[in-house]
Amino acid sequence: MPGTRFPTARLTLGQMRRSAGRLTAAGVAIAIGTAFVTVTLLAGDLINRTARDMIAAEYATADLVLSVDDPEGLTRYDDAAVTAIADLDGVAAVQPLAAFWGDLRHAGKGSYQVFVPAPSHESLSPLELTEGTWPARSGQIAIPPSVVERLGVGVGDTVTLQRSVYPDEAETAQGGTGEGSVEGEAEMVEPVAQTDELEITGVTSDPYGAFTGTGGAVAATAGDVAAWTAEEGADVSYEEVLVALDEPLTGTEVPADLRDALAGAAAATGMAADHVAVETTEARAAAKTIEQTGGQDLVFMVFVLTFAAVALLVAGLVITNTFQVLVAQRTGTLALLRCIGAGTGQLYRSVLLEAAILGALASLAGVAVGAVLTQVALLVAPSFDLGIPLPSAISLTATAVVLPLLVGIAVTVLAALSPARAATRVAPLAALRPADAPTLRGRAGRLRAVLTTLATVGGFGLLGLGAALGLAERPDVGLLAGVAGGAISFVGVVLGSVLWLPKVTAAMGRLVNRSGPSARLAVANTLRNPRRTAATSTALLIGVTLVTMMSTGAAGARQSADTMIDSEFATDIIVAPGSDETIDEVRSAVADVEGLAASTAIAGSFVTLGDVSDLSVNAVEPDALPGVINTPEEAAKLTTGTILLTEGAATSLRVADGGTITATGPDGTLDLTVAVTTAGPLNRIITTTDLAVLDADAVPHAVWARLATGADATTVLSDVQDATGAVDDGAMVIGPAAQAAQFRQVVDVILGIVVGLLAVAVVIAVIGVTNTLSLSVIERTRESATLRAIGLSKGQLRRMLAVEGTLIAGVGAGVGILLGVLYGWAGSVTALSLMGDVQLVVPWTDLAVVVGISLVAGLVASVLPARAAARTSPVAALAVE
Amino acid sequence: MDTTVYVPLDGMGAGSPAVRARSLTKTYGKGEAEVHALAGVDVDFAEGRFTAIMGPSGSGKSTLMHLLAGLDSATSGQAFLGTTDITRLGDRDLTALRRDRVGFVFQQFNLLPMFTAEQNITLPVELAGGTVDQAWFATLVETLGLRDRLSHRPGELSGGQQQRVAIARALIAQPDVVFADEPTGNLDSRSGAEVLSFLRRSVRELGRTIIMVTHDPAAAAYADRVVLIADGKIAGDITDPTPEAALAGLDALRTLEPSVAVGGDA
Ligand SMILES: Nc1ncnc2c1ncn2[C@@H]1O[C@H](COP(=O)(O)OP(=O)(O)O)[C@@H](O)[C@H]1O
Ligand SMILES: [Mg+2]
Repeated sequence: MPGTRFPTARLTLGQMRRSAGRLTAAGVAIAIGTAFVTVTLLAGDLINRTARDMIAAEYATADLVLSVDDPEGLTRYDDAAVTAIADLDGVAAVQPLAAFWGDLRHAGKGSYQVFVPAPSHESLSPLELTEGTWPARSGQIAIPPSVVERLGVGVGDTVTLQRSVYPDEAETAQGGTGEGSVEGEAEMVEPVAQTDELEITGVTSDPYGAFTGTGGAVAATAGDVAAWTAEEGADVSYEEVLVALDEPLTGTEVPADLRDALAGAAAATGMAADHVAVETTEARAAAKTIEQTGGQDLVFMVFVLTFAAVALLVAGLVITNTFQVLVAQRTGTLALLRCIGAGTGQLYRSVLLEAAILGALASLAGVAVGAVLTQVALLVAPSFDLGIPLPSAISLTATAVVLPLLVGIAVTVLAALSPARAATRVAPLAALRPADAPTLRGRAGRLRAVLTTLATVGGFGLLGLGAALGLAERPDVGLLAGVAGGAISFVGVVLGSVLWLPKVTAAMGRLVNRSGPSARLAVANTLRNPRRTAATSTALLIGVTLVTMMSTGAAGARQSADTMIDSEFATDIIVAPGSDETIDEVRSAVADVEGLAASTAIAGSFVTLGDVSDLSVNAVEPDALPGVINTPEEAAKLTTGTILLTEGAATSLRVADGGTITATGPDGTLDLTVAVTTAGPLNRIITTTDLAVLDADAVPHAVWARLATGADATTVLSDVQDATGAVDDGAMVIGPAAQAAQFRQVVDVILGIVVGLLAVAVVIAVIGVTNTLSLSVIERTRESATLRAIGLSKGQLRRMLAVEGTLIAGVGAGVGILLGVLYGWAGSVTALSLMGDVQLVVPWTDLAVVVGISLVAGLVASVLPARAAARTSPVAALAVE
Repeated sequence: MDTTVYVPLDGMGAGSPAVRARSLTKTYGKGEAEVHALAGVDVDFAEGRFTAIMGPSGSGKSTLMHLLAGLDSATSGQAFLGTTDITRLGDRDLTALRRDRVGFVFQQFNLLPMFTAEQNITLPVELAGGTVDQAWFATLVETLGLRDRLSHRPGELSGGQQQRVAIARALIAQPDVVFADEPTGNLDSRSGAEVLSFLRRSVRELGRTIIMVTHDPAAAAYADRVVLIADGKIAGDITDPTPEAALAGLDALRTLEPSVAVGGDA
């Protein structure tokens, strides 16, 4: 208003002071949302720093790191270059970063380890010696604690290193090893297993976590590491070389003359000088972190921030509700202000300013809480022994503070837009006569109805299309359509909820209506402010839908994976001995392992089937087969005189189910009846009796075993590994059951994390329920007092609010669960059809938990408002305002 | 149980007392801000009568009513409903008392907006878990002229109609006594007169006991008796008042020293 400056700010502050209590819950909702964002940003920064620290740890306390800056990635430092650099004046020591992988074995146990050169200088080693000495000559090693534990060895013991040696062509030509390699070209050279006895001279620790990913590192002499690498057929050259200087580097820049000297030394041995990159340790670590994480930290942030966005959306609903109530309660004041000359714009701005102030204060609190929480988590984390060296303090980056603040304020102001518009609709006349609170109806409502119906119907259509595409084995396009359809329909559902949710509430209300006067009052109360109730239910609906969708999807994924694993890996555990001679020992060792239901030996040979020669067939006792197979009905198809073939194998052999195929082995010929099986591992299986006819010399080459019901797959697997390892060093154990268990675990962990992240939104929604009830209680003070005056007991009053709370929460949870199961199913069908028939699983237990939590939350949400209401004296009913 | 000696006051009408106050005191605040809203009130209200409590604004009328109805606690003294000393009752007993023995009519009607007139009327019985006496309900509806309004919500009723619904609600449980605090305060004079005559009919025809607080002599004239109150003390008593007598009594309170009786009949 030109000329007249209406004191909007003062008005706003005055209003806020009067409504402080009413704004608190809304503030808490925003604070939780911004705390979530802050924690995410801080955690992202921590992950980044941890990754950088782990990379930097590898460089120990080196002054410089030499790396290659070659766009083609061909340049390496060879030993000559390393020596040349070491010989430079001012260079105290150099250490090329080298790694060799080999299998350490001792008494039937093995440990695959990375071997690194023992340090040439103390400042160049991330490893520290905790016991014994560094390896001094060839054949000595220092081992990390993980190897001490796994192999049960210590300083002074001897262990075996098993490694592959690729003989060079000269040796091969002399006809040293296998028959297969004689005629071969260079690439056909077969590796030869080589064993070396190594003496343990020391035990190392990895204090900075440089080798966290590999469970520590074994230190050997630089010569041994180079020799083993060379014998494996690899070049002995390095991408990075650590340099320790006589005079420690001052400053963060590498002096130009030093850089030139180093590059010159390398160039003198044939390297391109401009390919030599000289950096400080810090600079190199930072650059390599970016190189290695390759934006993965960004993916993590986006993933988690999606959930923060959901939480903030729910908080926004709480804010909208609060401001709508505030505006309604202030109708009289607003009308009076209009009477004395306030413009609509001023009232509008006053509400928005109030929202901005609330948003700023709440977001500040949220950032503080988020920072404190993250710091506390950091302090607690070491006691969980995560094996990762975490920084000890968070660093409050500008982003982690400013971004949540801005987001919090923006969400609050946006959420207050529609209540602010309502405030401008208060007519000056309202000051003179009591009028109903202003609401937004009419055109906006109709437009909303049309748009949300379109979005909902269209979205569900797309979702169905996605599922159909998934069934048609086009999950890629299907997922795209499904995700888009899911998102669009959910937006439609959420935005349209104020229009149809009251009807659901009314229907639910009719059910509880009969249970007494408190319930009847409660139902009537929930229905008198349909929009507010709907918005509150919707807040919970959002969280419940997403949680349900996730657990339904996870249940589907588990189910599909089980089915797939059962048919792909019909056996729980497969053991292949290192050589045919040890098969009997391996068999009895496996038979003795506890937790196995049955085991049987599998024999094999190569035969001609139809007109295809050299096909491997497996043979098993038909009686024993069903016991070791997860699909016994498939196993039962095997009888003497039959051969099991998968659909695909039968097709390529041009036979059909029930047809006959001729099998010819070294010792005989049989006409076998074809039985088509769905179980992949049962392909080309015949009975041992039949195999004996085809190949009299066939011997067992593997053992199949099945877990006892209830046995822990992972435990039994490692028991089997230990038992077979003890009788046969080379035995190989495969555990599809353990894989299945691991897969289930992965699904559960992911589900747990996602549900945990969504829980924040649910918590905010519950605060929303409390907020709505509290606001209603404040609004209804006179009414509560009247009820008390005409005979409502305190208990009945509390019960009334409890029913209101559970009704609001129950409607949100009920509709949310329906939607969630639907979305979960659609997602399963779309994404999992490739894995086989998708079964539409309803995770009843999870759903019961969700409903239970929602109802209890609704109940709990009513406790505080109910206490406030019960304190109201009946005298208040008589008070004249 | 009841050991208080019953001292009948002058000017009492027929019938035994339904409500009694003995040395009833209510003090708000402490020290400087101390307000003696009631400074030792002794008064009896007869059963089956329509009594008005009248006095200037701030004289303690509402406070007296709150204490007599058990809505608020007394600083000292006793209030009896029949033979029950309600100053000794806890919240549970007071709730039971309000359900069965006391009805209220409020200045602002205080109907529940989401219920129809009928639902509002029967609510007290429902809260008490009882069943509505249909004959009594019909009588009330006829007497108060609400037959055509039963399915309307409060928002669809005029002020006078709302107040009549409130009176029916106060009477539905056949309470021993109905308290009304300024029941015509929010009504125009025609609706007010209508409500007052309904209150009087409730007493005359339905045999109810009503105690009404008012500052309006015209309203007080509808009662069988007017108890005058000033500065928290009983200041007079008028039986079968006319508007003129009530007005004269009120004027006397304003001009004369408090606690001087101006009573007598017109
Ligand atoms: N809750 C209260 N706190 C403090 N003083 C009160 C309170 N209620 C009433 N009073 C005081 O007690 C006196 C009597 O009040 P009240 O009974 O409401 O008068 P009336 O109904 O006759 O107008 C007045 O002086 C009033 O200010
Ligand atoms: Mg009063």
